Amino acid sequence: MNELKIEDLTCYRGENLVLKDLNTKIKSGETLVIRGSNGSGKTTLLRVLSNFIKSYNGKILFNDQNVLEDSNYRYFFNFVGQKNSLKDNLSVKNNLKLWEIIYQKNISYSKLLEDFNLLHLMERDVASLSDGQKKCISLLRLNFTESKIWYLDEPFVFLDDENSQTLIQKIKNFNTNNGIVIITSNINLQNIFTNEIKI
Amino acid sequence: MNLKLTNKQISIIEKANPFLIVSTIVAFTFGLYFSLLQSPPDYIQGDSMRIMYIHVPSAWFALMAYTILAGSSVLWFITRNPIFSIIARSIAQIGMIFTLISLVTGSIWGKPTWGVWWVWDARLTSMLLLFFLYLAYIFLWQSITNKDLASKISAALAIVGFVNIPIIKFSVDWWNTLHQPATISKLSAPSIDISMMVPLFIMTFATFLFLITVFFIRLRIEILDNKIVRMREVK
Amino acid sequence: MFALLKRDLYLALYSSSSFFYTSSFFVLVLVILPFLFGTNDVQLQVLFKGIIWIGLSLSILLTMERIFNADYEDGNLDIILQQNPSIEVIIISKYITHWVVYCLPLFIVLPILSFLFYVSLDSFFLIFLNLFFGSLGMVFIVTFVSALTLGAKRTIFLKAIIVIPLFVPFLIFGTNLESWPILLALSMMSFVLSMYVSAYGLRLYVE
Repeated sequence: MNELKIEDLTCYRGENLVLKDLNTKIKSGETLVIRGSNGSGKTTLLRVLSNFIKSYNGKILFNDQNVLEDSNYRYFFNFVGQKNSLKDNLSVKNNLKLWEIIYQKNISYSKLLEDFNLLHLMERDVASLSDGQKKCISLLRLNFTESKIWYLDEPFVFLDDENSQTLIQKIKNFNTNNGIVIITSNINLQNIFTNEIKI
Repeated sequence: MNLKLTNKQISIIEKANPFLIVSTIVAFTFGLYFSLLQSPPDYIQGDSMRIMYIHVPSAWFALMAYTILAGSSVLWFITRNPIFSIIARSIAQIGMIFTLISLVTGSIWGKPTWGVWWVWDARLTSMLLLFFLYLAYIFLWQSITNKDLASKISAALAIVGFVNIPIIKFSVDWWNTLHQPATISKLSAPSIDISMMVPLFIMTFATFLFLITVFFIRLRIEILDNKIVRMREVK
Repeated sequence: MFALLKRDLYLALYSSSSFFYTSSFFVLVLVILPFLFGTNDVQLQVLFKGIIWIGLSLSILLTMERIFNADYEDGNLDIILQQNPSIEVIIISKYITHWVVYCLPLFIVLPILSFLFYVSLDSFFLIFLNLFFGSLGMVFIVTFVSALTLGAKRTIFLKAIIVIPLFVPFLIFGTNLESWPILLALSMMSFVLSMYVSAYGLRLYVE
């Protein structure tokens, strides 16, 4: 049973207050949607949670241990941001190969691509793909780690209905395997994920 | 958080400004009178040598400005007080202009002395490189849109540049002794007559006052600019 | 560390920066010499010593956006930072990749080039040593400038203005045959400077 706790989180970027006194708790098997308008600090929050931003007030605890002091924490989460981490001039296959090396994990590409029905794109250059297709491929990174938490920054942007359903299914599967998911969104997802906070 | 402080600083600057402008003009009047009319022409170079009274002070202050730039960047790292970042930015532009003045006057001086507009003399070459160090600093500051980040980054570059100045100077001097054609006599005048020392001293003082005046004007602009940026961000 | 190293080398291979491209670049930069200055062998020897440094500088400078900028802009830098505990290890790995991909080919074609330009064996070894120690320091320099300019609007000219004055000492001593110890010393200084500044720049930008 894992638990992620955010206590009195306050974060400044430069001189502006971005996050103020945020308190929340999330347990294994749950999905939390963070809703807010553009520029409300959603991305900042995810970057704080994934330890990229280290200067903030308050505490983030994973299983009652402060994530800033826990050197293993970085193995526990996977972060998919709005940048898709793909090299435009390379083929999909080569991009997957590069991830394979960084994550030090061997994976069958074709099985991976089948998830989103992208098998036919294997040899194509990323530059020739649509935004939605790029987004799907960047979400495949979730399969490269054995993490306990997923941080997804605006994952549904650019996705069509079919692929959105696939992603929702993936998230729910991850939840049933005791995974924690935190999603940011600027649209209402309450009919899918009920657990929501507004910032 | 520093809004109050900056208001106080601006009012000090605004009060000092007219006084500084007047004293700069007075100092230059005296300086120019002594250097152009009251001092004798050089017995070899003639009247062309009088450009020294502009050239030498601006070269000194070009170097001094980089020291201030690096010094305030270091202080910024220690105290994180934005005023040091503002000082660094203000002095950078002035330093660049002084470097340019010393290069141009050096070149004008070189024409009658050496017969050419430019020689690859160690000092001129180092000054040229100093000019590009200033340019790099200013361009880097301008090209980063997040100004908070820009001040952090350009402070680091200023210090890197300062560490590199002695290395560049050393290597350029070494290069110059290697390639120096024997026919060109060195610029250095071993002994300056007292009759030239007095105008040089006054001109240095006048140039210093000029530097302070322009620095205060720039400082005021930068503080106000900083304030605008911050107000816009808070909104 | 080795994962990152391997990944960067693969990336270079896939992005057609492979050995043949880079070495052809070096050969071509020097092959234009006789066309520009004639075939007088004494003059060619003198020019060779200088132009080879221009080739090296260009190769290091023009590709410096691949050190951190490309990974920063597409988001891969986040993954790299997450997967590697120490920022210093990332920086060292980047030094190695950049040197291997954009400098090493020069040393492989250098024997052929010196042969084409009538360089004697003695001076060949000294040129080789100079280029070796100089190229290390120059890679250290572009790495920290690349880390500092991550957020700057993407212009290679800005980076060139920052980098070239810092290259000057290397170029001055590089063209003098006996000065490899000085180049070694310069490279060691740049290493220390570069480690601090690159780490500082990276930490600022990932925030």
